[in-house]
Amino acid sequence: MATDLAPPPVKAAKVAGHKPDRARTLWRYRWLYLLLIPGLAYFIVFKYVPMRGLQIAFQDFVPFLGYNGSEWVGFKHFVDLFTGPDFGRLMYNTLYLAFLNVIFVFPAPIIVALMLNELRINILKRSVQSLIYIPHFLSWTIVASLTYILFSVDYGVLAGWVHEILGGQKIDYVAQPDWFRPIIILQTLWKTTGWTTIIYLAALAGVNHELYEAARMDGAGRWRQLWHVTLPAIRPTIVVMAILMSGNLLDMSFEQIWLMTNNLNRATADVFDTFVFYVGINQGAFSYATAVGLFKGVVGVLLIFGSNWLAKRLGQRGLF
Amino acid sequence: MAGALMLTTALLASACSGTGGGGESSQADANTITFMTQLFGTAPNPQGELHQAIEKFLGKKIKVTWVPNADYPEKVNVTLASANIPDVMVVDPKSPAFGKAAEAGAFWDLTDKIKKYPNLVGDEKVLLNSSINGKIYGPYRTRPLLRSAVMIRADWLKKVGLEAPKTTDDLYKIAEAFTKKDPDGNGKDDTYGLIIPKWPGTTFAASSPFNVMDVWFGAPNNWGERDGKLVPEFDTPEFFEANRFMKKMIDEGLVNPDWNTLDTAKWNDPFVQGKGGIIIDVDVRTTQLLDLLKEQDPQTYGDKVLTVGNLARPDGKKFSLPFSGYKDILAVSKQRVKTEAQLDELLKTLDKLASKEGQVLLTNGIEGRNFKVENGEAVLINQEDPKVKQVQDDVDKAFIQLGTQASTGTTGIAYPRVPPEAPYRKDLAERKERVAEDLKTAVFDPSLPVVSPTAVAKGATLNPIVTDARIKYLAGQLSEDELKAEIKRWYDGGGTQIAQEINDLVAKLGQ
Repeated sequence: MATDLAPPPVKAAKVAGHKPDRARTLWRYRWLYLLLIPGLAYFIVFKYVPMRGLQIAFQDFVPFLGYNGSEWVGFKHFVDLFTGPDFGRLMYNTLYLAFLNVIFVFPAPIIVALMLNELRINILKRSVQSLIYIPHFLSWTIVASLTYILFSVDYGVLAGWVHEILGGQKIDYVAQPDWFRPIIILQTLWKTTGWTTIIYLAALAGVNHELYEAARMDGAGRWRQLWHVTLPAIRPTIVVMAILMSGNLLDMSFEQIWLMTNNLNRATADVFDTFVFYVGINQGAFSYATAVGLFKGVVGVLLIFGSNWLAKRLGQRGLF
Repeated sequence: MAGALMLTTALLASACSGTGGGGESSQADANTITFMTQLFGTAPNPQGELHQAIEKFLGKKIKVTWVPNADYPEKVNVTLASANIPDVMVVDPKSPAFGKAAEAGAFWDLTDKIKKYPNLVGDEKVLLNSSINGKIYGPYRTRPLLRSAVMIRADWLKKVGLEAPKTTDDLYKIAEAFTKKDPDGNGKDDTYGLIIPKWPGTTFAASSPFNVMDVWFGAPNNWGERDGKLVPEFDTPEFFEANRFMKKMIDEGLVNPDWNTLDTAKWNDPFVQGKGGIIIDVDVRTTQLLDLLKEQDPQTYGDKVLTVGNLARPDGKKFSLPFSGYKDILAVSKQRVKTEAQLDELLKTLDKLASKEGQVLLTNGIEGRNFKVENGEAVLINQEDPKVKQVQDDVDKAFIQLGTQASTGTTGIAYPRVPPEAPYRKDLAERKERVAEDLKTAVFDPSLPVVSPTAVAKGATLNPIVTDARIKYLAGQLSEDELKAEIKRWYDGGGTQIAQEINDLVAKLGQ
């Protein structure tokens, strides 16, 4: 096996003559191509074939009539979406949350990783690291229940403390539209930061120690080392993570938001993802929901290309 | 993208088979009937005694897809989009997805046929209510027409020295006393009057405590006539009157502070734990409350719940909120039941199931096994035997859902089940009087039989406008003018068209 995977020896005769034909290359790397098949099959079956269903965004889809029987309506659902009362609110809420994610959630693991990196007591470093990534394994349902337990106005433990210490009106945090975004961001921070930190810690582990020594020789303090050695060293990782994130910028965590939504905060809480579920599965308006989802997907793709382009312009290596 | 793909993956299964007439593998087996319905416990075993008894009675095999009640509407929508629609599906005829599927011909239109099956017709008025603009897609599952009531902590009422309420003002006074006069006598300020849970869903007339109060104050029940035209509940002065009343109660802390996040499943808890003292809901909740209070104290539980009917508004005029008289219908799939002959055969079986004997099986169980009949009532027996308990559970938590002429309340043709204890018997006896009295002032919803096409098309985005706005108004996030502006937004977004269609459709039905 190992020998098969090794690159073939370059034969002198080949260099002189014609190109190796395709079939022969295929045969030569047959094991590699074989390895490709399961992955390819996965994407075709679960990602590309369902795309056929996207056509219902342009139909008045009735499941009983199927794709072929349903009436084509062109861009009607898109027009409904763009001119309807929901669009502005959905766009605003989604972008606002995305913005908060960029500001607060994205840098958090970098900061935590840098802080952990400065810790010299290994056992402390390890235990802190383990503790903060545990929430990653809890489901959103549990996180939401915890939030309700801690912050609801009648039974909430934390809400009660805040009330006792600060006085004033009791605040129903989980039902106030103003508190919706802070709660979502806090939940996300609590749940995801520790886990994402692992990637940055891995990147930090690869930094050449001689660089630090050299910096110290030049008289750099801790802050200087951080700024001139550590940060540049993990910059490629940060850029790749940023590009990856930009594609998912409009993908809010559906479960999280769905679980935290109620009548009072719906105006703040509705994002494209929850709206698609509500309209599509709950209300049975499949075509409209698909149009919404498709629109969101297109924006996501544009964002990925955009940020990739931006990364290249800034002199970084992009994803592609 | 994830959202769109999630949807289309769910729908993909339907792609091949949904070709207007069904795929090849969906041929119904003449000897097996497949059902889909709600489930409130664990799914019964097909080898179980009750399942077997029903099959024996029908002379046919049955296969039921049991779906937990909480997930039912979603499961219905996904099923409608799949190739696996069962022969008979318990479904809300007014749900947009069902309406579209029915219109496209996925279900049999039984308008002209159902009369041939006497047990399936039921009450003609209710049957019409369960139709889509006069088109009947299946027998309805009967429910008591009038179920709205007020449950009050009777021991608290005694403590604060007040009488059973007759008007909304009385209710306010009781709620105030329950909040301020320490009705549980523990010396702490830890009680409130009215308990309201988070009302799920975004349909406006969802029989919430809010809707009950709207009607008490004289607003229409969902839709009603004003100056010769039908208008929605929320476009009337009485609606605002009712909401001012509720807002006052909420502002003064007479309502549980978590009224918009309290889970409906936990509605009974504050009442039973002595935190709040009033619940406005369907009268069968009294039974649940008695059950829970009995666990606490088997001696005095009977003195703790007082149930009264609908209340009059301050000027003494009384209006009561009736319900639709049904909950879901049994729709027959055209994809599975292809020919008229097959349909006839199936309807015969359903008719048999809807006979007294069939309904007794579904709602009471097996006579002599888990119940006996005494004075025309079902009395439970052998409940200590785990096997009998299984039969009882299968009845109560599952098969009762397939009953069309049966209900846990007092409607139906099966034997009423009355617990032996005095408080339950007293409640049931009073309930009959109460219902008879309240029916005299019932405000019926003339729009029940009709479905507005615009409401179907735009409901998903229109429905939450007013439901949310009302809640926000009550929570103090919107002023009354802003609430009015939201109602106007509803009209502008398509409500005007809905109103027009409702008016036209009701006129056409000649109601």
